[in-house]
Amino acid sequence: MAAVTAAQPRSSKTESYVDNKRKEDIRQANIKAARAVADAVRTSLGPKGMDKMISTANGEVIITNDGATILNKMEVLQPAAKMLVDLSKSQDAAAGDGTTTVVVIAGALLKQCLLLLTNGIHPTVISDALHKASTKAVDVLTAMAVPLELSDRESLIKSASTSLNSKVVSQYSTLLAPLAVDSVLSVVDPEKPEMVDLRDIKIVKKLGGTVDDTELVKGLVFDKKASHAAGGPTRMENAKIAVIQFQISPPKTDIEQSIVVSDYTQMDRILKEERNYILGMIKKIKATGCNVLLIQKSILRDAVTDLSLHYLAKAKIMVIKDVERDDIEFITKTLNCLPIANIEHFRAEKLGHADLVEEVSLGDGKIVKVTGIKDMGRTTTVLIRGSNQLVIDEAERSLHDALCVVRCLVSKRFLIAGGGAPEIELSRQLGAWSKVLHGMEGYCVRSFAEALEVIPYTLAENAGLNPIAIVTELRNRHAQGEINAGINVRKGQITNILEENVVQPLLVSTSAITLATECVRMILKIDDIVNVR
Amino acid sequence: MAIERILKDDASEEKGERARMASFVGAIAITDLVKTTLGPKGMDKILQSTGRGQAVTVTNDGATILKSLHIDNPAAKVLIDISKVQDDEVGDGTTSVVVLAGELLREAEKLVAAKIHPMTIISGYRMAAECARNALLQRVVDNKENAEKFKLDLMKIAMTTLSSKILSQDKVHFAQLAVDAVMRLKGSTNLEAIQIIKKPGGSLKDSFLDEGFILDKKIGLGQPKRIENAKILVANTAMDTDKVKIYGARVRVDSMSKVAEIEGAEKEKMREKVQKIIAHGINCFVNRQLIYNFPEELFADAGILAIEHADFDGIERLALVTGGEIASTFDNPESVKLGHCKLIEEIMIGEDKLIHFSGVEMGQACTIVLRGASHHVLDEAERSLHDALCVLSQTVNDTRVVLGGGWPEMVMAKAVDELARQTPGKKSHAIEAFSRALVAIPTIIADNAGLDSADLVAQLRAEHHKEGCNAGIDVISGSVGDMAELGISESFKVKQAVLLSATEAAEMILRVDEIITCAPRKREDRM
Repeated sequence: MAAVTAAQPRSSKTESYVDNKRKEDIRQANIKAARAVADAVRTSLGPKGMDKMISTANGEVIITNDGATILNKMEVLQPAAKMLVDLSKSQDAAAGDGTTTVVVIAGALLKQCLLLLTNGIHPTVISDALHKASTKAVDVLTAMAVPLELSDRESLIKSASTSLNSKVVSQYSTLLAPLAVDSVLSVVDPEKPEMVDLRDIKIVKKLGGTVDDTELVKGLVFDKKASHAAGGPTRMENAKIAVIQFQISPPKTDIEQSIVVSDYTQMDRILKEERNYILGMIKKIKATGCNVLLIQKSILRDAVTDLSLHYLAKAKIMVIKDVERDDIEFITKTLNCLPIANIEHFRAEKLGHADLVEEVSLGDGKIVKVTGIKDMGRTTTVLIRGSNQLVIDEAERSLHDALCVVRCLVSKRFLIAGGGAPEIELSRQLGAWSKVLHGMEGYCVRSFAEALEVIPYTLAENAGLNPIAIVTELRNRHAQGEINAGINVRKGQITNILEENVVQPLLVSTSAITLATECVRMILKIDDIVNVR
Repeated sequence: MAIERILKDDASEEKGERARMASFVGAIAITDLVKTTLGPKGMDKILQSTGRGQAVTVTNDGATILKSLHIDNPAAKVLIDISKVQDDEVGDGTTSVVVLAGELLREAEKLVAAKIHPMTIISGYRMAAECARNALLQRVVDNKENAEKFKLDLMKIAMTTLSSKILSQDKVHFAQLAVDAVMRLKGSTNLEAIQIIKKPGGSLKDSFLDEGFILDKKIGLGQPKRIENAKILVANTAMDTDKVKIYGARVRVDSMSKVAEIEGAEKEKMREKVQKIIAHGINCFVNRQLIYNFPEELFADAGILAIEHADFDGIERLALVTGGEIASTFDNPESVKLGHCKLIEEIMIGEDKLIHFSGVEMGQACTIVLRGASHHVLDEAERSLHDALCVLSQTVNDTRVVLGGGWPEMVMAKAVDELARQTPGKKSHAIEAFSRALVAIPTIIADNAGLDSADLVAQLRAEHHKEGCNAGIDVISGSVGDMAELGISESFKVKQAVLLSATEAAEMILRVDEIITCAPRKREDRM
């Protein structure tokens, strides 16, 4: 309706003029909105980037440096701005790291596009040129990259720590980086070396201690305590573990039922029957030699009752209850056992074996650790500790980024320098390339090259250096053939960044460039916003 | 005596000139809205939903834009309908049909202003449309006999369709995908067998065609992850418990052991059901509903792969491609048709695990996995690919092909012009107008590309004065080029549908001389 009424006043003679005006406005508005989003996260780029505090609608406070998280919580409304948020999400999915970089690049590209548009270049021409430039950029980056062997643990750690250095937990990068590398390498399946499923790495967060206490556990960790009712065991050596999906409680049918009690003796009998019923179950469990029970949460009825816990304790069976159904797969994979859904199927061959299951007190809470698992599946658990919830959450996000970085390296085994070196080199090479192109294309590619300088510029700016001096110096160094010269933020000068051990996976850089270009092209091609149902 | 009100209170009536004006204005407004999306350099639109979630769609597809508009103008609704019909019938040309109808109406408006009766215009348009169709028919190319050449034609058509969409940069890749998929169908237009799965991440180039079927689900715990020569039972049955469905039914017992017995009986019933299912001699069981832990374990014990909670679309397709039937009772195994496939295995795309059925019964089935930066890109890519698939499958049936890039319009315009000169009477004005409307399409394509349309179209017209010329607009270089050399082709069926339905729609709107708006239905006010 709105669109029609808006269109009506145009008379056919002046239509093309009015039309163009409107399109121009919409494009400008889109670009401005998208750039505003990019500017919001710009300052969090790099090792000396700042963090953002986000207070969500329900009063929760998040402190983070992770671009994807910031944008996710911003709740933008403008459609073009939303696309930038999505862009950051895609980078998160594709590479896991570089979520801020990708948005900053897109913002810089849009800024250049605005200039090109005001010069009267047709949006599709710009869009095509951008695509060409990005393909070329990927070629240049690939040529710059250094191949890597998975056995080269040093380099893997280096790149993981580059990612961690820009986060709140940067001072712990020496601890977290090897941890990330080890955990990823331990879940790599030798049969399918390119595939890493990060779901095989479980992250358990526990308040208390400091980030220093974060550890990699070869085995399982439950953020729960073992049942203490009736003095049940909390430590079990040579454990035989059963994962059960049935309930040890009085029976309940699916059809509605009611027990008719007519006199007192009957009530007594019912109580006795209940006891016998549970006892019978526990005897069957005990008969298989099982001494640790993991019980799945049940919505239909109580998974365990006080009575059954009591009997289990007497039978010296350790109980961990309320295991989520979603976790069952991970647990069974790790323990190399099968879930048991019915007491009738409770057989010894379905059990998992571990050397030790014990409850450990950590800070104010308790956790259960399962270690020394026999025939352990390719999974691993990381236990994150921290002095407050905010730190823990941020540590988890940072660790996730680091894990992603390592995963990228596993699937695409190339490294590239960090510290703005690849961007400035790209800018130089594309700038040179633009001179051999013809027509508008050359002009657009040059703008693309200039836009890429935003990364070293922002890095320097965030580190409190003089951005212009740094960027010109960088250009100069690169022109002299030092393709790995980059900004060393710690020293505040330009050095060979490869020697400084600042490296990142090739996949992060290439996907940042291609995704940012794809998004910018999409924004450029939009000429109208239509309100629909 | 004055005539009493004939219509209800809120109903309104517009007559003659005013009614016609309202129709024209509405139709032309719609045309102007979508016309910038036409052609390889057409622009996209953001569709911002005012509903919940404020979902954003970015699209270049005329049908999608029009479908979601709020429209109050009856004539505009007619245009939207023809675009929908075009989408259903041939899948592509949804924008073209609206633009052509709009242009026809724009010309008609001028004629009406010049006091030519709408009926005269209509009959002129009819003659012109017939003549245009014949002109096009004479120039079609049909490579039905030559499989090699035909495949090339298909490639060209796919590329032309895709070049106006988001996939334009990777059009060769996607054209190949689409052609391969359609060739597998072997002439059927059942696009159901082509499944499109969207997975964010990677870039558009990483999209691929997969023989077989991919189901976005997980395999149950402890069950085989790989099955060869699978016999598949597709079912829609409750695998939690069989409940007594009578409301209020309840069981009265007088002791706890009885309750345990009932529970045991329930379990037993489930076990029986599972046994019955297993008795079908299957090794893969796909259910639309949840499979609870208990039956899941039973299946695992029997070494059967059980997939739970496959969505409705998923199981229907699966049943279709594996040649099975969806079962819901399992009492007589011989009457149930099982599906077959060579291999079931778990694969990983991006971050997600999916189940892959290869070597399926219906060899035509295949899956296209789309990868892309974001959901916007993926959704739009799916729409574009769908258009291409539609056109290709239509072309496989009707193998006639014409050139693209404004060439067919110019050919038709020339023939129609010829006709106008031979036709005596007022009709000739209408016929002439028809030719102008046809020429508007190349004009818009040129305008959208930021080219000098007046100059280009004039050049085109001159070129077309020669016999057997292949000239059209080459948007990339911004000049008049040889469409046959550039490999820009379109399906004849699409062009014909555009021409005929646009003419019909224009005719219908022209006939209108009165718009009666019915009173909106009121909520009853109880007195």
